Amino acid sequence: MSSTPSAAAAADSLRRNSKRPKYSRFTQQELPACKPILTPRWVISAFLLVTIVFVPIGLASLFASRDVVEIVDRYDADCAPSGSTRDKVRYIQSIADKTCNRTLTVPKHMKQPIYVYYQLDNFYQNHRRYVKSRSDQQLRSQSHENDTGSCKPEDNANEMSIVPCGLVAWSMFNDTYSFFTNNSQQLPVNKSGISWKSDRDHKFGKDVFPKNFQNGTLIGGAHLNKSIPLSLQEDLIVWMRTAALPTFRKLYGRIEVDLQAGDVINVIMQNNYNTYSFNGKKKLVLSTTSWLGGKNNFIGIAYLAVGGLCFLLAMTFTIIYMVKPRRLGDPSYLSWNRNPGGH
Amino acid sequence: MSLDDAQIVNVNPQQQSPDTLQNSSSHDGIQSKSWRASSVQEVGFVDFGSKSVPQGAESEGFSMSMSHREINNEDSRLVYVNDALKTNERFEFAGNSIRTAKYSVLSFLPRNLFEQFHRVAYIYFLIIAILNQLPQLAVFGRGASILPLSIVLLVTAVKDAYEDWRRHRSDRIENNRMSFVLVNDRFQQKKWKDIQVGEIIRFSANDTIPCDIVLLSTSDPTGVAYIQTINLDGESNLKTRYAKLETLSRVPEKDRMNGLIKCEKPNRNIYGFHATMEIDGKHLSLGPSNIVLRGCVLKNTNSAVGVAVYAGNETKAMLNSSGAPSKRSRLETRMNREIILLSVFLIALCTVVSVCAGVWLGRHRDDLDMLPFYRKMDYSEPVAENYNYSGFGMEILFTFLMSVIVFQIMIPISLYISMELVRVGQAYFMIRDDKMYDETSNSRFQCRALNINEDLGQIKYVFSDKTGTLTENKMEFKYASILGVDYSGEGTDFDGEQRGYCIQVNGQVWRPKMMVKVDKVLLRLSQTGNNMKANEQIYDFFLALAACNTIVPIVVDTSDPSEKLVDYQGESPDEQALVYAAAAYGFMLMERTSGHIVIDIQGERQRFNVLGMHEFDSDRKRMSVILGCPDGTVKVIVKGADSSMFKIIDKSRNLDVVRATESHLHSYSSIGLRTLVVGMRELGVPEFEQWQSSYETASTAVMGRVALLRKVAINLENNLNIVGASAIEDRLQMGVPEAIESLRKADIKVWVLTGDKQETAISIGYSSKLLTSNMSQVVINSNSKESCRKSLEDALITSRKFVVSGDPHAGGSGALIIDGTSLVYILDSELEEQLFQLANNCAVVLCCRVAPLQKAGIVALIKNRTDDMTLAIGDGANDVSMIQMADVGIGISGQEGRQAVMASDFAMGQFRFLVPLLLVHGHWNYQRMGYMILYNFYRNAVFVLVLFWYVLFTGFTLTTAVTEWSSVLYSVLYTSVPTIVVAILDKDLSRRSLLTYPQLYGAGQRQESYNAKLFWLTIADTLWQSIVVFFVPLFVYWKSDIDGSSLGDLWTLAVVFLVNVHLAMDVIRWSWISHASIWGSIIATCICVIIIDIIPMLPGYWAIFDLASKGSFWICLLGIQIAAIVPRFGIKMFIQHCKPSDIQIAREAEKFGNSMESRGAEIEMNPPRR
Repeated sequence: MSSTPSAAAAADSLRRNSKRPKYSRFTQQELPACKPILTPRWVISAFLLVTIVFVPIGLASLFASRDVVEIVDRYDADCAPSGSTRDKVRYIQSIADKTCNRTLTVPKHMKQPIYVYYQLDNFYQNHRRYVKSRSDQQLRSQSHENDTGSCKPEDNANEMSIVPCGLVAWSMFNDTYSFFTNNSQQLPVNKSGISWKSDRDHKFGKDVFPKNFQNGTLIGGAHLNKSIPLSLQEDLIVWMRTAALPTFRKLYGRIEVDLQAGDVINVIMQNNYNTYSFNGKKKLVLSTTSWLGGKNNFIGIAYLAVGGLCFLLAMTFTIIYMVKPRRLGDPSYLSWNRNPGGH
Repeated sequence: MSLDDAQIVNVNPQQQSPDTLQNSSSHDGIQSKSWRASSVQEVGFVDFGSKSVPQGAESEGFSMSMSHREINNEDSRLVYVNDALKTNERFEFAGNSIRTAKYSVLSFLPRNLFEQFHRVAYIYFLIIAILNQLPQLAVFGRGASILPLSIVLLVTAVKDAYEDWRRHRSDRIENNRMSFVLVNDRFQQKKWKDIQVGEIIRFSANDTIPCDIVLLSTSDPTGVAYIQTINLDGESNLKTRYAKLETLSRVPEKDRMNGLIKCEKPNRNIYGFHATMEIDGKHLSLGPSNIVLRGCVLKNTNSAVGVAVYAGNETKAMLNSSGAPSKRSRLETRMNREIILLSVFLIALCTVVSVCAGVWLGRHRDDLDMLPFYRKMDYSEPVAENYNYSGFGMEILFTFLMSVIVFQIMIPISLYISMELVRVGQAYFMIRDDKMYDETSNSRFQCRALNINEDLGQIKYVFSDKTGTLTENKMEFKYASILGVDYSGEGTDFDGEQRGYCIQVNGQVWRPKMMVKVDKVLLRLSQTGNNMKANEQIYDFFLALAACNTIVPIVVDTSDPSEKLVDYQGESPDEQALVYAAAAYGFMLMERTSGHIVIDIQGERQRFNVLGMHEFDSDRKRMSVILGCPDGTVKVIVKGADSSMFKIIDKSRNLDVVRATESHLHSYSSIGLRTLVVGMRELGVPEFEQWQSSYETASTAVMGRVALLRKVAINLENNLNIVGASAIEDRLQMGVPEAIESLRKADIKVWVLTGDKQETAISIGYSSKLLTSNMSQVVINSNSKESCRKSLEDALITSRKFVVSGDPHAGGSGALIIDGTSLVYILDSELEEQLFQLANNCAVVLCCRVAPLQKAGIVALIKNRTDDMTLAIGDGANDVSMIQMADVGIGISGQEGRQAVMASDFAMGQFRFLVPLLLVHGHWNYQRMGYMILYNFYRNAVFVLVLFWYVLFTGFTLTTAVTEWSSVLYSVLYTSVPTIVVAILDKDLSRRSLLTYPQLYGAGQRQESYNAKLFWLTIADTLWQSIVVFFVPLFVYWKSDIDGSSLGDLWTLAVVFLVNVHLAMDVIRWSWISHASIWGSIIATCICVIIIDIIPMLPGYWAIFDLASKGSFWICLLGIQIAAIVPRFGIKMFIQHCKPSDIQIAREAEKFGNSMESRGAEIEMNPPRR
């Protein structure tokens, strides 16, 4: 009996000295886990599920897109004297009156709000030199007025900082549109709230006023009212959200009355903006929206295509499974059973 | 997980045994290995010092040159004994303070950075980051471009700093240990770091030695000191060291010692030491048996005194402490090829962009001034000048460089870092696997090399040592043949009352620690005294067993005070077994000093003077001891391998005895026993005197001592009377036959390379199921090149039949048995090719009597001729060359020291762990790593391609819609964690299935998880997915008022969701960790994108919120995922159904378990169609 405690102690010390790894499900890589295996039923159901989800969405998108009424009017060619590019550039750079009248016909009933966009083609607002040439610091607060380091080549003029500086602001779009109904009644365009509220509240300072803007050798685009703070210059705010793609639209305003099918709208525009020098197109767009945005059939078609493809795949797999069934886990398919010693 | 487990870092060199051999020059390594070469089957009578006995002509030359070399003053160090001042005045020898830490506080930053930038990956990062700092090329902001590199550097630096801090701490502890040092004729305590070369140090039992010292005297009157070298090479048995007779009697405190030791410059050969000592006008030569190395522990000796000759970082232990060998895995080599392809893609993308940019610039050459989005000129200065435009050619060049910066992650640099992390994780699991824990040696699996984990999944050839690897290397005395009589009768178990042999000493009972089964007849005969001739022979036989060895008996207390155990400590397990056997028959070795031994013979204590000993060497393959018997006669007892012994046995006498012994030996070895022959003769006075004088001359020779001693031995060892032969059993390790069976099923060829005799090897082959009775054996034993050629040609013709007759895996195929002599002629000659073909035709190859270098040669034979992966496994020093040669080297941490472990990439306790290691962990590691590499290629390429498509729509100016922070964080944060987690944790099959169906291992051998086809499929899939991700939003938002940031956010989210969904689709086991990492990184990405978009300073302020309020965003996101995934999913499902891989079927069987079980039984019942 006397040896028992010491033996127990010895065993205990042995256990303590043992380097045997402590057992845990983690260290033995035996954590509980779900091991999904995609059986034929699962595969077919997955494809069918995609079909079931995608086809209705596709159809809904197509309908939504169909309901959107869009009037697109390209006016850059017609509102400038015909002739060579050089003539057009000279015209647009002159100080002549560039008023231009356009007539649009409403093809279908357009429910308010009708969004007025200008669309520029071939204008690389995503060009590296361009997107970098701005100063978000300066836009935001007056104290950073001289933060124009990133704004080159439009950082200062006459040895004074430009507010807002940079190519983006400098090149701001400055065509203007006024809409009149057939009976010369002006259709009011609501230009407030066309920019993001977040931009107005936090990105563009209430105490930042345009200064020394478009005072340089080259005039790029619009002038700004020096007495209005940037946070209220919504056209600027919209423009400063640089577009992702070289063909883009920007919101100009909203017409908040319905337009009937067949209505004729006269647009009196000031064709100021120079897109001629780089063969850019200018378009005026009036469009209603749907839950999906503007008119675009792509989503609908793509969804229908994917849904259809998945349906086809579901059918194909059904056939494969029926023609060439294979019991899951059938050991006779194992390479060493199928082809003894053959590899 | 704890880094400590997974990372093999030499944190404390005093606790970890320093790597001894593999880092010394290969010559040293092979030389010191060679002592084992033949001791695998003969008894090795070696002690620590004589390991460097050479073998073979090549190493002999080396050793001769070593011993003949005059120690010049230039390449020697002079140590004035007990005069540290004089010793150190001319040359500043290193002090004894050690420094394993790499860095100091000041040097940390520069040195650590310097070391980190040794990696190509980091240099690539750095160049890209520097390029980005040039104002012309600044694509990303400063912070964003430096962030990933600095994160990686920081993490590594913190890790290094932590490790170094631990080293500093252990250095400090080590340096402040105390020792007794002779100062002003008194021994005083001194800190280790203050010990200097030349000082005299005293140790007591169980003290650790602070530096390399030459022994001057010990408490033992004959000057023996026993040391344990476990800290040095992991061997736990005691080794003997001697003080020179001339210094023995000195008492350092009283008579001042003055001497001069002239020794070699510090080197890392821990088995070699060469010096001369000049004391009192006498020249003494010092060898490895006179030096005690730092880290050893004094045992069984009350005290010892020595003089420090090497200190601190110049000690042999410190010179040997360096890391594990570094290899590169096969998968990584393949991967690097594909990385080059990816670089070609990268260059192609950049070229496309720069050419397009050139064309664009050319077409708009005249408008550049006017373009509102280009504005070449800067008019704000008084003189208008070009702004950021350096001419057409330069712009193209800049575009090219910028596109390299933007597309940099096409080359998945993060992959290298991920791979390192994954390997650490995999190593963690291998180390923690309790199926690979060895109870008997209390050792876990060890990962010494961290970068070849996945190679374990592709092994095609296993080269195994036999002794200690297949067998336990725990020797047990089985049979004896004495005077032609075979005592292999029924070995009776110890009777209850007898309990082995024991003796009475001072009223205490001493008994051997281990019981041995004894033959009753022999036992009775041995007890009857030495009157008859037969009994005389038996007496001589056991006397030889008890005396002719280097075993040290150590008396151990037991719990019962009246009983003590005698533990026989020695180098060789064979010797231990023989001494235990002798003890069991009443010849109990009780005491050994360098001058005499005491043997208790049947209760009567007798003292024999050991007049000389010729230690074992692998040329002679025998050892001898010259005993002065109590009756005044002088006997020489020789013990060795039968081949070497029969040459020197006088066959004119006792011819029938010799014949009978030979036949017994044959029958012993045919059942797998290890045999030894004992011979003896009496020395006449003149002959003895002649021997003694030449022995003394030889052993004090300054030059060529080893060769001289060997010559003396050869002169002495002749005309012996045969006494008998012993047979020792070396039992097979647990689970070896099953393990070999599994490996064979897994289509791994197992070759056994052993130093043993052919018969022994074949019998072990049978018992381990390596050979089966229905195999036809092809044996090649040739003595010349011509006969080798002939037998190879014949064998080739025979062997073709095995192949023609069908399946090489069937039992009825060939086994090639070849011996070392034939290999001498075959290796390194034109016959190699034939041997290779022959070996290929045979299912089993067994090489016997091979020397260590030949083992490596055989591995090289396969390695150079095939692409297949080779693995070598062994436990002894003789396996080191083979372990280093093979693609994967595995050391068995068993009986035979630790050299093999030190040289290996992985180490484990038992041979059978090879099965879980290869079939389970190897398989998993390979599958995981293969998938991870492909996935990383895909993950980075899909993102780069999305960026690339966008560049085509920005006038080729490398604008990224994705914010710069997102592009930087993409591979660092958004998508990195899941791939690492999946690569560490995902399991394609359970351990059980992998072990039940070893054939599943073939997936790795056939490179099913990573090959060129999969790479190109992945690239094609990547292309499709990137097109979907990019163009769906493009078409949806073409002609809309979407801004760049919003679209960028959409692309970011779409890509991140997609790559995670893609990963999710391929994950096989969903544990909570996989769920957390995959869905977690999607959520983390969303959070990051939101955080980036709530900084008003950035142009993309609030974009994500605006975007999320649009229905089209959600529709897009959903559509992208499905459209991108469908082709991959469809193809995957198609292949799964129509061309299922073995893994797929096994996985299904695992899930729908019962079906496989019943079928599996069926399959086993019906013999497979062959």
